[in-house]
Amino acid sequence: MRVTQGLDQSQFLAAIQTLESGINLTQNQMSSGKQFTTASQNPTAAGSVNNYTQALAQSQQYATNANSAQTNLNTEDNALTQFQNELQSLRGLALEAGNGVLSNTDRAAIATQAVQIQNSLLSLANTTNGNGEYIFSGFAAQTQPFTLSAAGATYNGDQGQRQIQIAAGQTVADGDNGSTVFNQIKTGNGTFTVSANAGNTGSGIIGATTVSNPAAYDGGTYSINFTAPGTYQVKEGATLVTSGTYTDGSTIAFNGVQVTLSGQPVTGDSFSLAPSGYQSVFTTVQNLVTALQTGVTTPASATSLNNSLNGAINNIDQALANTSDVQASVGGRLNAITTQQSVATSQQTQLQQSISKLQSLDFASAITNLDQQNTTLSAALQAYTLTQGLSLFKYI
Amino acid sequence: MSDVFGISVPALQAFQKAISVTSNNVANASTPGYDRETVNLTEAIPQSNGTATVGAGVLVAGVSRAYSQAASNQLNASQSSLGQLNALQNYSTQIDNLFGTTVGGLSTTLQSFYSGFSDVANNPTSTASRQALLGQAQNVANSFQNASSQLNSLNNDVNSRITADVQQINSIASAISTLNQQIVVGTAQDANQPPNELLDQRDKLVSNLSQLVGISTTTDSNGALNVFVGNAQPLVLQGQTTPLTTVGNQFNASQLEIGNSAGIQISSSITSGDLGGLLAARSQVINPALNQLGQIATALSQTVNSQQGDGLDLSGKLGANIFSVGTPLAIGSARNTDAVTAGVSINANGLGALTPDSYILSFQGGSPTLTDTTTNASVTPAGAGTLASPYTANGISIVLSAAPAAGDQFLIQPTATAAASLKAVLTDPSKIAAAGAIVTAASGTNTGGATISSGTVLNSADPNLLAPVSIQFTTPPTTYSVNGAPGVAYVNGGNIDVNGWQVQISGTPANGDVFTVTSNAGGSGDNRNALAAANLQNAGVLQNGTTSITAGVSALITGIGSQAQQINTAQTAQSAVNSQAQNSVQSISGVNLDEEAASLLQWQQAYQAAAQALAIGNTLFTTLINSVNGTYT
Repeated sequence: MRVTQGLDQSQFLAAIQTLESGINLTQNQMSSGKQFTTASQNPTAAGSVNNYTQALAQSQQYATNANSAQTNLNTEDNALTQFQNELQSLRGLALEAGNGVLSNTDRAAIATQAVQIQNSLLSLANTTNGNGEYIFSGFAAQTQPFTLSAAGATYNGDQGQRQIQIAAGQTVADGDNGSTVFNQIKTGNGTFTVSANAGNTGSGIIGATTVSNPAAYDGGTYSINFTAPGTYQVKEGATLVTSGTYTDGSTIAFNGVQVTLSGQPVTGDSFSLAPSGYQSVFTTVQNLVTALQTGVTTPASATSLNNSLNGAINNIDQALANTSDVQASVGGRLNAITTQQSVATSQQTQLQQSISKLQSLDFASAITNLDQQNTTLSAALQAYTLTQGLSLFKYI
Repeated sequence: MSDVFGISVPALQAFQKAISVTSNNVANASTPGYDRETVNLTEAIPQSNGTATVGAGVLVAGVSRAYSQAASNQLNASQSSLGQLNALQNYSTQIDNLFGTTVGGLSTTLQSFYSGFSDVANNPTSTASRQALLGQAQNVANSFQNASSQLNSLNNDVNSRITADVQQINSIASAISTLNQQIVVGTAQDANQPPNELLDQRDKLVSNLSQLVGISTTTDSNGALNVFVGNAQPLVLQGQTTPLTTVGNQFNASQLEIGNSAGIQISSSITSGDLGGLLAARSQVINPALNQLGQIATALSQTVNSQQGDGLDLSGKLGANIFSVGTPLAIGSARNTDAVTAGVSINANGLGALTPDSYILSFQGGSPTLTDTTTNASVTPAGAGTLASPYTANGISIVLSAAPAAGDQFLIQPTATAAASLKAVLTDPSKIAAAGAIVTAASGTNTGGATISSGTVLNSADPNLLAPVSIQFTTPPTTYSVNGAPGVAYVNGGNIDVNGWQVQISGTPANGDVFTVTSNAGGSGDNRNALAAANLQNAGVLQNGTTSITAGVSALITGIGSQAQQINTAQTAQSAVNSQAQNSVQSISGVNLDEEAASLLQWQQAYQAAAQALAIGNTLFTTLINSVNGTYT
């Protein structure tokens, strides 16, 4: 093929330009530290890096969410621990008040302590988190959940429970509403409750109550009526269920339930057995305070006090059980968060590695590359100057 | 004796001419478009005078240029392809650089926006996190606007380059027609000596023209060249030009198209050269990117706003829109015979079917056909085109102002302007609907073990959505009444749909148990709706629900990158083809200085030899004269 000087020149320039743009690209890579800075340099990798970056940012956001949930749950955990401590103290006071040698004045003093505990319990139920949100008021985070009332406390919150996303498809509740924690507490032994008729004049005191056969208890309401000293009848409405003789401390059993009574009920005294309902812990506390503040004037009122104290202790035990259930669930959620945090950390490391693998520049090979490109360019320049010297005109 | 002079003197003239031609080659070695010339020497025919006829010397028959029509045609075709790819590459590279690996930061701001919802969900009562979310929404809107304004400015650039190209094409065409006239005259004067310089100039112009637009040529016997563009549209016929024009698009006057001298649009037949590249850049690179951005913007706005509407803000009202997008474009053709206008809207549940493509709604023969301008697929839309029964297809609804005339055409662009018109319209942080619309509760006096779910909103437009509802179980608890209405059979865990919301009650209810569903006004600590909004990031909404918005952005990046890469590869390949074509033209027509140096030596020696022959002739003649003089003295 005929080669002309013009062709030589333009081919040389084109080659130099290609080489220089290659060097420029390598330089850009090295100054940015990235293998590609535009999508066209590696479209698939650019798309993947974008996806990974989004997944990473999302994972980091989940971590932020988890921290927020953790803070709120820790606040709740602390509040519940203190609440249980206060309840334990109250339970101690109720036991102490049952001591027969105490005078009305002594019990009034105990009542004063009980009122203080009542205030602490209320303030704990109105705990706020760092953002000023009431943690036990459900969705109504800016409404004080509990206000004192004659019967205990009114719940002003709702039954909402806020969920926080801690991973794709995984949420945890960052709190519990006051209704669940403090109001929905079963009375009595959790299945049924036994109470003494207000008009009882004997000294019959309700002792332990148990469900001996859950299948046999039908959830009905029964009355235990003393028809003569030492003789009782159990009736469901007007229907006689069973009857028997009673001695102090004996256990009355029917339809799968057992009730132990002590003392001497008199003819006409009655006790009623009803399925457990729900009672707010604040109602329980208020009832206890009222019982402590009511003076003992007659043997019957002493018996009534004893029954009230026993009932209060039962209900406090139920409240303790309920709050510790909630606390266990809080602990479970905290564990789930911790687990998720460690999963997220390794996931983030993984994502960062993937991004880096796709995008980060291998400097060693980039430098080698640049070196090669430089060598090629200087060789090309040299070759050009050498061939440009060749011309027949020089020799004419 | 006289034949020595008769041979030598023309030989000297011939070699002198040859030296001139060679010098001219050397002088034009770097002149673009110059074709190497050679002297055509031919033997002079002697008059026969018997048996021993001696030749009559050398004659210059003409000067011819080294030119191959085939190689030139090949180069011109290759230049047209390269010109097209260069123009395409110019725009695809610009978009590639503008968008980088994050669509100009769009994917980053989108990510921050969704994270902003998570922050609100973590702390729904905090004004700071709500304010931050509004800021992120503003950033997202700005990113979309920036990206689309950059694309639009590329479109403006295309328009101005189309105008410049058409002017240049016309001026080259008129120069070619002028040269045609001179060449016809020159060729007629001396059939043996073509006007090489004029031909060189004309070829150079044709070559320049081929970079601007793909052409085909024919040569007439009188030497005139005819040039055609596109679909055999004459540009130069002999000494006449029929110039190209620019005309406004029939749907969008601000978008320039190529027209012939009669103003008839011929854009679709211009597929190569710089002009073809500009048209392709607009239709294949810039507008699709705008449309895809718009599709994402539309989806973002619709999903976020709809989620807002399902929840309650801090004042207990259903959430207001965070974003707004302009209405999709529907433009009647300038050729429509009536003034019927079309209105387009994106269907409420049409995101999955919505494509980033544009459509032509035409009434050929009176019946509606919706043709996708990208895929050329046609569908007959459902409906009658009226407000009561709009045409619906591909996630859009079209309403016409009146019955269209047969042959009417409308350009429907569902997403083209969405990115440019995306605005963050919510300014009051308390109006972010972080809370769910309803809150459910079990009555404190319930004795059964049944629980009620927190509920979801099915239809936020229901006027009674926030009205209080009480669900009470009857005795026995196998049925329940809603606000006292007659009993409905209870299904454990079954859906209960009332007033546009849905709840489930599960477990064993007891006689008379009551559950309530009320407005969540005051539920400032609720984050259900913010949580749902944050999760929209991963929700498949595009492409029949298979692609999330952020995945759509990634796909846009990959798409733009792949397209740019493909164009770069094609451009590199075409550059190689082009330099091959240049090489073959150069190798035929180019000037090699060494060759010319050798020729100079050759002609110099020939000249010297001829001169020597003349000298010998002279000596012979002198000898003859002297001897004759001697005889007569």
